[in-house]
Amino acid sequence: MDLIALESLLDNTSFGVLLVTMLIYWGGAAFPNLPYLATLGSIGMAIANLCMATLLASRWLEAGYFPLSNLYESLFFLGWGITTIHFIAERMSRSRLVGVVTSPVAMGITAFAALSLPVEMQESAPLVPALKSNWLMMHVSVMMLSYSTLMVGSAIAIGFLIITRGQKVELKGSSVGTGSFRDRVKQKTVQPTPENVYPSNSNSGTTAVLDLPQTETVTLSPERLSLADTLDNISYRVIGLGFPLLTIGIIAGGVWANEAWGSYWSWDPKETWAFITWLVFAAYLHARITRGWQGRKPAILAAIGFVVVWVCYLGVNLLGQGLHSYGWFL
Amino acid sequence: MNSSLTPKSLFRRFISILANLKLAIALLLAIAVISITGTVIEQAETLTFYQQNYPESPALYGFLTWKVIVAWGFNHVYSTWWYLSLLILFGSSLTACTFTRQLPALKAARKWKYYQKPKQFEKLALSAELERGSIKSLVDLLKQKKYKVWQQDNALYARKGIIGRIGPIVVHLGMLIVLVGGMWGIFTGFFAQEMIASGNTFKIQNIIESGPFSSPQIPDDWSVKVNRFWIDYTNNGDIDQFYSDLSVIDDGGAELKRETIYVNHPLRYDGVTLYQTNWSIAAVRVQLNNSPVFQIPVAKLDTLNAGNIWGTWIPTKPDMSSGVSMLIKDLQGTALIYNQQGELTSAIRISQSVEIDGIKIKLLDIIGSTGLQIKADPGVPIVYTGFALLMIGVVMSYFSHSQVWALEQNNSFYFGAKTNRAQVSFEREMLGVIEDLSARESTNIAEPSTSLV
Repeated sequence: MDLIALESLLDNTSFGVLLVTMLIYWGGAAFPNLPYLATLGSIGMAIANLCMATLLASRWLEAGYFPLSNLYESLFFLGWGITTIHFIAERMSRSRLVGVVTSPVAMGITAFAALSLPVEMQESAPLVPALKSNWLMMHVSVMMLSYSTLMVGSAIAIGFLIITRGQKVELKGSSVGTGSFRDRVKQKTVQPTPENVYPSNSNSGTTAVLDLPQTETVTLSPERLSLADTLDNISYRVIGLGFPLLTIGIIAGGVWANEAWGSYWSWDPKETWAFITWLVFAAYLHARITRGWQGRKPAILAAIGFVVVWVCYLGVNLLGQGLHSYGWFL
Repeated sequence: MNSSLTPKSLFRRFISILANLKLAIALLLAIAVISITGTVIEQAETLTFYQQNYPESPALYGFLTWKVIVAWGFNHVYSTWWYLSLLILFGSSLTACTFTRQLPALKAARKWKYYQKPKQFEKLALSAELERGSIKSLVDLLKQKKYKVWQQDNALYARKGIIGRIGPIVVHLGMLIVLVGGMWGIFTGFFAQEMIASGNTFKIQNIIESGPFSSPQIPDDWSVKVNRFWIDYTNNGDIDQFYSDLSVIDDGGAELKRETIYVNHPLRYDGVTLYQTNWSIAAVRVQLNNSPVFQIPVAKLDTLNAGNIWGTWIPTKPDMSSGVSMLIKDLQGTALIYNQQGELTSAIRISQSVEIDGIKIKLLDIIGSTGLQIKADPGVPIVYTGFALLMIGVVMSYFSHSQVWALEQNNSFYFGAKTNRAQVSFEREMLGVIEDLSARESTNIAEPSTSLV
């Protein structure tokens, strides 16, 4: 089959599938009682993921090098990355709310690439000399993966902000572990019920609770994470995964630049914005362990991070200067 | 004497301010915001450029004039004293934080304690009092999940992922080493650019930047000969790759090293690296009728960014009263000839000739010149060490430090657990452990318990 025809079929299909998937996820959030919607959403994501993977593989076959030479290819790589990270986040959280925020991002990216990019920018182009290096694969693919991971993580943080609007939230999960302790307010509001005082299967003869009058007359049982806690923690974990990728991607770029041009850091706008992204997410990770800055504040930083990643990925190239201006939008 | 004014306590107070997390976050965000200015305002342009683009009236946003830009150094943000001071403050904050927070936290994590009282379990969110359960089966369950387990009489402690407490320390160390390596490079390195025509020999002279201690790095006892420079083109005329065949030669003219460099493949010699970065056209070799071969230099024409064109003028009369213009746009071997009136007369290839005003002009060769970037940076090994630590450290930091306590007391079994990062996965893992624990105990003691009743 003609590769170019296959590619144009695949890009439109991934957009169409993602549009339907987004509606399914949103429908599932609006009507939680409808069956099969969660499964349908995951299936849609999987189909879109495979379509984009096939599209990129076909590009690789067509051009003979890793398909990251122009904006079209890099957008589909980003979309593929977002749908892949979506599955990691969904598996971690077992919550279908993840798809509510990830599917519109993925859909928007494929819509832009398949529908609004002019045809000449969709065509596969030869690599300029500077990009002919094995480092291209290492640096650019890790950067793109980190962008998609950070986008998913910060999109979930935006979801968390929407869910908890107008509430005060104590955070779970940060490197000092502030969220591992019992919520005092909740603990006191637990009313001792007969079931709590007398363990359910009383025939076993265990009456330890009554034997120890100094402890509270409530059997200790695990305090479960709320939906907001879960979303917040998954956002933190996904950003925590994106941050090492971003670090490794920036360093790979630095080493490549040093091998190719003789300077590991030249304050080129793209480099600077990658550094800014790194700083914003570093601030996010530190805000989570700061007393008094917990709650919604780190999530707001993550939401700012979402914008910063986009500026770094697309915005800088609109300036059209610096080392990264050739090869279009890399 | 007021104890809070002794040098030692002042120093302590200073360190604790420096180690403050809010200061660290403010610094991270301040560096981020200030870095943006350098991507919006053009960097390292000429004074006239700023005078033209940032006039005093109307001032951009009412204040951003070229005077403000030059006075504050917004034309070279990343090398201003205030930007470097921020970076140094950032480095100090990193160091202070490592010593006052991270190391004590790691020490505390390694000096764990058994929980000996049921009350200690109450503070943990993930804790339970189970009717069934024993340390023995918990040990098995936790070992299956790769926990490191300690036990003593009726108490148990287990942990996994302490690497996640070491990671951030390694990250901070890596950052510091990168900052130190970067500064070392600024002080001891140099950076030069040369544009050399094919066939010429040069010594490194056109130094653009050099640190105060860079003189030992600048080579004075060897030079470089450009044996040949050429470009490979793809079938549709795009540049495929630039190549320079270079020889390092000593003062006596003996060849010390020879290598063909191209983009992404530099030549290294004596701590100095030569990179292929640019190219130009230096000259054309022409013959008029049976004259000797003339090598005539060409100049790059200003096309207002519409592409690269080089041009020269070739006299067709001995008194130079008339001649033709020759224009060349690449090294593919074609030149365009324009007559005295500025009309295109012909396009010729190398070794072809054209007759104008009764004179046969033969194009023998187009000589390219290679644009080299030459650099020595003794800070690179230090920076690379920092890079390696940073990469290892950020990966280590992903691991969640999970801890489990258990206590058997008064016929009850207390279970408690916490982790510092992966709350959601950990909750699932621990609820599974609690379930398995009950299941195991009920199968183990099912018969004795019924017989007791």
